[in-house]
Amino acid sequence: MAYEKLLTRNIHRDNSHTIDVYLANGGYQALRRVLKEVSPERMLEEVKTSGLRGRGGAGFPAGVKWSFLPKTRDKPRYLCVNADESEPGTFKDRLLIEKDPHLVLEGIILSAYAIDCHTAFFYIRGEFHRGYRVFQKAIDEAYARGFLGRNILGSGYSLDVLTYRGAGAYICGEETALLESLEGKRGLPRLKPPFPAIVGLYGCPTIINNVETLANVPYIAERGAAWFAGIGRPKNTGPKLFCLSGHVKRPGVYEAPLGIPFMELLNEHAGGMLHPDRPLKAAVPGGSSMKVLPAPRCDVLLDFDSLAAAGTSLGSAGGMVMDSSTCMVGALLNLAEFYAHESCGQCTPCREGTGWFVKILRRLEMGEGRPEDPDLLLDVARRVEGNTICPFGEAVAWPVSSYVTEFRSEFDDHATRKACPFGAASVR
Amino acid sequence: MPEPNVPVPAPEAPPPAAAGPAPAPPQPALPPCGPDEVALLIDGRPVVAKKGTTVLQAAGTIGVVVPHYCYHPGLSVAGNCRMCLVEIEKVPKLQIGCATQVAQGMVVKTTTDRVKDTREGIMEFLLINHPLDCPICDQAGECRLQQYSAEYGKGRSRFVEEKIHHDKRVPIGARVTFDGERCIKCTRCVRFCDEVSRTGELTLVDRGGHAIIDTFPGMALDNAYSGNTVDICPVGALTWKPFRFAARVWFLKNVPSVCGACARGCSVDLATYQNRVHRITPRHNPEVNGWWMCDFGRQTYAPVQDMPRLARPIVRPAPGGAGGPGGTAGGGAAPSMGEAIDQAAAILRAAATRHGAGALAALVSARLTLEEMHLAKKALAAAGIARLVVPPHEEGQDDDLLIRKDRTPNGRGAGLLGLGAPDAAAVAALAADVAARKVRGLVILGEDPAGDGLIRAEALRTLDALVVVDWRASATVEAAHVALPSCGYGESEGVYVNCTGHAQRTRAAVRPGGLAVPVWSILREIGRRFGLGGAHSSAPAIFDDIAATVPAFAGMSYRALGEAGAPVKGA
Amino acid sequence: MSGGGAAQGSSATVPVSPETDRRIDALLTRYPRRSSALLPALHLVQDEKGWISDESMAYVAGKIGVSPAFVAGVVSFYTMYHRRPVGKHHIQVCRTLSCMLRGGRDVMNRLRSRLGIEPGQVTTDGRFSLEWVECLGACDTAPCAQVNDEDVALLDPAQADALIERLRQGR
Repeated sequence: MAYEKLLTRNIHRDNSHTIDVYLANGGYQALRRVLKEVSPERMLEEVKTSGLRGRGGAGFPAGVKWSFLPKTRDKPRYLCVNADESEPGTFKDRLLIEKDPHLVLEGIILSAYAIDCHTAFFYIRGEFHRGYRVFQKAIDEAYARGFLGRNILGSGYSLDVLTYRGAGAYICGEETALLESLEGKRGLPRLKPPFPAIVGLYGCPTIINNVETLANVPYIAERGAAWFAGIGRPKNTGPKLFCLSGHVKRPGVYEAPLGIPFMELLNEHAGGMLHPDRPLKAAVPGGSSMKVLPAPRCDVLLDFDSLAAAGTSLGSAGGMVMDSSTCMVGALLNLAEFYAHESCGQCTPCREGTGWFVKILRRLEMGEGRPEDPDLLLDVARRVEGNTICPFGEAVAWPVSSYVTEFRSEFDDHATRKACPFGAASVR
Repeated sequence: MPEPNVPVPAPEAPPPAAAGPAPAPPQPALPPCGPDEVALLIDGRPVVAKKGTTVLQAAGTIGVVVPHYCYHPGLSVAGNCRMCLVEIEKVPKLQIGCATQVAQGMVVKTTTDRVKDTREGIMEFLLINHPLDCPICDQAGECRLQQYSAEYGKGRSRFVEEKIHHDKRVPIGARVTFDGERCIKCTRCVRFCDEVSRTGELTLVDRGGHAIIDTFPGMALDNAYSGNTVDICPVGALTWKPFRFAARVWFLKNVPSVCGACARGCSVDLATYQNRVHRITPRHNPEVNGWWMCDFGRQTYAPVQDMPRLARPIVRPAPGGAGGPGGTAGGGAAPSMGEAIDQAAAILRAAATRHGAGALAALVSARLTLEEMHLAKKALAAAGIARLVVPPHEEGQDDDLLIRKDRTPNGRGAGLLGLGAPDAAAVAALAADVAARKVRGLVILGEDPAGDGLIRAEALRTLDALVVVDWRASATVEAAHVALPSCGYGESEGVYVNCTGHAQRTRAAVRPGGLAVPVWSILREIGRRFGLGGAHSSAPAIFDDIAATVPAFAGMSYRALGEAGAPVKGA
Repeated sequence: MSGGGAAQGSSATVPVSPETDRRIDALLTRYPRRSSALLPALHLVQDEKGWISDESMAYVAGKIGVSPAFVAGVVSFYTMYHRRPVGKHHIQVCRTLSCMLRGGRDVMNRLRSRLGIEPGQVTTDGRFSLEWVECLGACDTAPCAQVNDEDVALLDPAQADALIERLRQGR
């Protein structure tokens, strides 16, 4: 069965990022039709029925999130596009932004229309310099051709899209931290409730959606919810961009329906393991924050529910692959340092716990470990998880608890040694 | 960034509302409540609370203490310390009590093993980078880390590595010192400067474990309310410079009183030890100052300790040989209070006889209490002195928080008792009349016109009779024929009426030295020399007399004033 | 936000060019709330001057209408704002998992030895500086890095040598 590329249909064309190429390949037709013939309420229903789940990491049904908006119109509604892609192992939004920005933009316009929003913000991480320039240019092109601004295509619907660059903070990918950053402050996550759909940007009802999520919307508009729901698996519908990196031959972004087996993605899309004599040892299917799967458990389907049943999560679909040369203690130390650098520092368990993980893991990796250290890591992780303002607590606790649990013997062994047994080949 | 704990309800479920999770099924014994209230259970006990109340607040109304650091009722909710996490039935994760609103039928549990275990964890996290400074830290004895460690902590730490280090004696403000290692980043101080003083000097800088409180480079925490950040800091990170290493708080005894630095009359506590006031802190009073006070008021006790004191009565020869029996010195080198008061009465009488009663006047301070002003009026009337002047003491402007430019605590009281409001023109006229020798006798109660530049000392020395009642060995006292030592701030009790007409009791916190006695008792004795009747045996008794005879104060009493004071209806 | 900053509303010294000053003014009305202009304004300042000084922070605080301390808090929160001058070529090497699995540490080690500086330092001639950064979202070209705002895929130490050569020759 040949899989029809949807999200990556255009990316290999020359000048795929330009509006002319986009238009020449059928772009903005869906928008034309919807603005003429489909009410915003119908559009919202269509997205709901399609079963599209958020592609940023939570997998929350997009249409359901949109329906949380209050019925009143006393405050303007805002749509914020989360282009802060910073989850280690994830680079799929960047691909769309740089290679097919108009697909994303058409999705933004359709979605803003569906939720009666007239100002949308494109929050892009500061390090995506090229992506920012390309997307701003795409926006300028869209204005010039009448797809943005006042009275789009004579429909009476108006929309402005404003770009906003982050400045280096992973936490700003969290919805409410993104809003804080957009308001010109430190990117500290907010207490919830209230949720952004009720009290969001500038206190107004706000929807935050991931880039890839919105890139699906033109297809839903063009071909309908039923068609979309036929791709993938029940409750895990639609096409998906999967990232693979680490010890694989061809690291990259691969499009497949939700539910593709991990081993098929690894071997048939990414070329299999990097070194033939170093077999798969562990893989993280969904970005560094999701629990690690040891090789024997990597025979899984890559969708939200299957991975949840397997004890991990699809997350941002940022798959990272580790072969037998990898020291799992070193790998976890690397990630623990990431989380310690990126913690916003607001709440006690995360602010203090992330630093503590690094200190314990450094001792283990440097040969100063103690037999009680693995259990200590597990207990500290247990005390962080569930007690924080935002999911960053889980994002650091899950790797710690899963690496220690799944590779316990390696951690116990480190605690007895004066040096890491993986030596130079390890992650250090 | 993944969002694994965004709730995934069934598609038909209503959106999560701001008022807490879905109600539990009907519980037994939930009391009925009004339209704006909800009934819930906290640790099995029924509570009725207004909608919008938080679980933490509702628990407080039934004496259930939910431990917390970052929450403060006078500031916005931050929810970052996580110490107030409690269990709510049907909600999978623990919820912070400071931000969770009560809902009908909610079942809250604060004593379960899960909650205890979580509190233990939070305590451990707070302590892993906290320095073991207790032996040298001012906060010891009133420190939430200490208190909660004892109540909720593990008792030992599992942290064996090097703690994060910060500067420990940062002169963050003129009166405030900051210790970066002790800070638990609760952000109460930042929120105070943003929301209350609205001066924005403080911020968190950096992030993660290295986040720390700081000011803009080269700028200081220098607003007039900086001391409040010290009060609200739950640990010893922010300390009040004048109080650093001054006394251990468990030796201090707090005496509730009223600040004397301006007409706001903030409710305060005078902390005393070994007959000295060591610090002044605000006392919560929603009618007057809320939770706060200004920095200047905190130092009100300092003058009483630092300035030269009038400890014993002084009698000096009056001009023209005027004086009572016993000659010019009246009573010898060290007169008793009684002898000095006799002399005072004698020289006033003599001056009145010589120049007429109209040549006598009095300066009455707006720093006196109502009781003192009341007796002043009676005593001066008995002595035939009709011209009473209340000098104003103004500095700066009223700000939009607490500070008043009127730097006297009882100017309003002076007006209500018929002494007249503080009046600069009247003072100037009096000074002119003294210089022109139209006024020949002056009674000065609690004022230092020579030192304040209101009446020149040389002019004062030309008077036939100068009687001064004060606690200071001031320039005016130097010119006096009779100087009678009185209590200063914090040494006797009495009532002030503040700028909004709110009356509050001050209390005696320390005993004065020497022969000083309360002003009202001196005035009573002077009055008696002129035939004034009445027992006037104590400040409360005098206040009762005020209530009985001055319509504005009808029905008031010390008991009715209580801790927070009461509005003066006639004000 | 409250005022109270040294440069509140005044034009005491404007530490940026008139062009940057004009562009910052334009930002003040670009977004529905003026406060949002803070991050973009700081980017503009850094684009011109290469880093953000105390003076710049006070100036921006006055433009936005927030206290200087507030701006200091924001600047220190985000890693892309430099509080000290960086090199003409600021090399940022990714240190997160996928890049480390593919030899990122060897790349950084080569850069360190060739330039004679550690991450966080600037060469004495001011031409180069090094920094470890977190995942740049380019794991398919790991190990990866950025030089100022340009992406580089540093696949091995030899490529690191070539990069330094290229930069030294001004290419």
